[in-house]
Amino acid sequence: MNIFQLVWRNSFRKKTRFSLTCLSVMIAFFLFSILAGINHALTSNVSSNNQYRLLTSHKISLARSLPLNYQQKISAIAGVDSVSYASWFGGFFKDETNQLAVLAVDHKSYFEMFDEYSMPKWQLEQWKNTRTGLVVGQAIANKYGWKVGDKVPLSSSIWMNREGGFTWQFTVSAIYQNAASASEEKQIFFQHAYFDKSRAYARNMVSWLTPKVAEQADIDKVSQQIDKLFANSTGATRTTTEQVFIKERVQQFVDMAMVIKLVVIAVFFTLLLIVCNTMMQSNRERLNESAMMKALGFSSRFLITQVYLESFFMLALGALFGCISAKLCLAYVSHLFADFLPSMAIDNAHYLNVISLVFLAATLCSFLPALSLKRLTISHTLGAKA
Amino acid sequence: MQTNNPTKIAIQLKQINKSYQKGSNNVVVHDNFNLSIAEGEFVALMGPSGLGKSTLLHLIGGLDLPTSGSVIIGEQRIDTLSEIKLSTWRAENIGFVFQLHHLLPVLTAQGNVELPLLLTPLDNKQRKQHASLALRLVGMEARANHLPKELSGGQEQRVAIARAIVSDPKIILCDEPTGNLDRKTADEILTLLAALNKDYGKTIVMVTHDLRASEYASRVINLEQHIEEGKQSQLSVVEVNS
Repeated sequence: MNIFQLVWRNSFRKKTRFSLTCLSVMIAFFLFSILAGINHALTSNVSSNNQYRLLTSHKISLARSLPLNYQQKISAIAGVDSVSYASWFGGFFKDETNQLAVLAVDHKSYFEMFDEYSMPKWQLEQWKNTRTGLVVGQAIANKYGWKVGDKVPLSSSIWMNREGGFTWQFTVSAIYQNAASASEEKQIFFQHAYFDKSRAYARNMVSWLTPKVAEQADIDKVSQQIDKLFANSTGATRTTTEQVFIKERVQQFVDMAMVIKLVVIAVFFTLLLIVCNTMMQSNRERLNESAMMKALGFSSRFLITQVYLESFFMLALGALFGCISAKLCLAYVSHLFADFLPSMAIDNAHYLNVISLVFLAATLCSFLPALSLKRLTISHTLGAKA
Repeated sequence: MQTNNPTKIAIQLKQINKSYQKGSNNVVVHDNFNLSIAEGEFVALMGPSGLGKSTLLHLIGGLDLPTSGSVIIGEQRIDTLSEIKLSTWRAENIGFVFQLHHLLPVLTAQGNVELPLLLTPLDNKQRKQHASLALRLVGMEARANHLPKELSGGQEQRVAIARAIVSDPKIILCDEPTGNLDRKTADEILTLLAALNKDYGKTIVMVTHDLRASEYASRVINLEQHIEEGKQSQLSVVEVNS
């Protein structure tokens, strides 16, 4: 017999009440963890060095193109290491239902900058030397059974080629893997030079540029300098970090960060009320026993510790199951949202948040019972019954 | 009935005043009350309801504090101790038996008896041994693993007595220990308390309405209320048999 056994047995005194309260705690932490997983997808770094990668797009809309010669102009800015660029092809394979994320990229610089895509060196060289070459993600290659050397026709709903058709002929030159995220293996790349010469319009224009700043450079300052360079021109720019760009894309649909905050606040407020009520009810039912324990010589501190541990145990158990179920759920659904929200997962920082919240909630939930135990007068409580 | 020879004062209440506020009224329970109980005595506190018998017991056990006056147990004045010190003192010196035994329903008889020993430096094995011994003394060893709901009223009270004596206190305070029991079971409990007094030298103070209970005590103190002009109430001690 020790205080932990006492806490254990008191916790299961009313099994139904304990289970239901635990379930509500579990649901709260499940929601919190799911939203944290989505938040992680919005804010996580895809690769170790992308914090230095910027994205410069047209100030008005991503749909508007920028002149290709911005590459040289941006390269000249102090602090900029290199500049690559890309254009959105918007392709599909055979049928419009088979939508693909196809990008025309600068074959000289793109994969040097985006080094999270790994492929055999000879394949990369082969792609650089093949004007109509494709670099295909492993997941897409597996899906359609493509191999290096296969001829693949891709169609675009945006770009017409010089022959007047919307179907472009390509050859698979390389297949890449992405060690950081398998969900990133669904993109397809081809040479921007081929794209530029073969499209019927908008030549020498790109959808966006990706400047990479030197590690010691001030990212904010470089971003401002880039935008300042093209201010008041028809091609005014907006430069952000890659992370902010992804986040803003999602926020075009919904401000997830705000939704997460509101849901977390609402959930935890409700959670506090439920657990607090349970603890107060449990404490009220045991006032005579608490008074008896005081009579036996147990201090208020001991009884308060006991109540705190009971709150903590209930919250910790609910949080544990909530986090486990959220992790399983995210593992199951993450591939469904891979294109929209890549790397949707719970990171270690979230677990620290959960532990902190459990400690905080346990303190708040045991506050009123603690106050009542502190004020408990033995003679009054026992005398009223005896 | 055997009477122990009082040799040393175990409990001393000096000029005790106790009152409490009930609404806008100040209710005086004890006014300049004095009482001495010697070591090894088995004292029955009797009298009509509302005279403050339980309050006296609570004052002796440090469960309540007097409005003024002093409560001296052995050589320790307890009414001036802090809450923490008073708790420690209670754990070491006093055993309580109440009419409603207040056993923890989630613990077995063994667990309930072990409970006060959590406050001692005994290890788990020693605690179990002490609890088993206490249960054996009250004849409940066979029921050690039973929960309170699986015990009869008399058995629950026996377990409560085992809990009261497990830490070997000098004084046992009983508040209507037979109030909820039938005659036969009540007699068994009273015999047990008398044995603890006689065989183990425990000083026992028992509040009771049970006239038969007084037969087991070495001294009966009858509290009678004397209403005096100008006072709400005054109590005096009438010693019936000592």
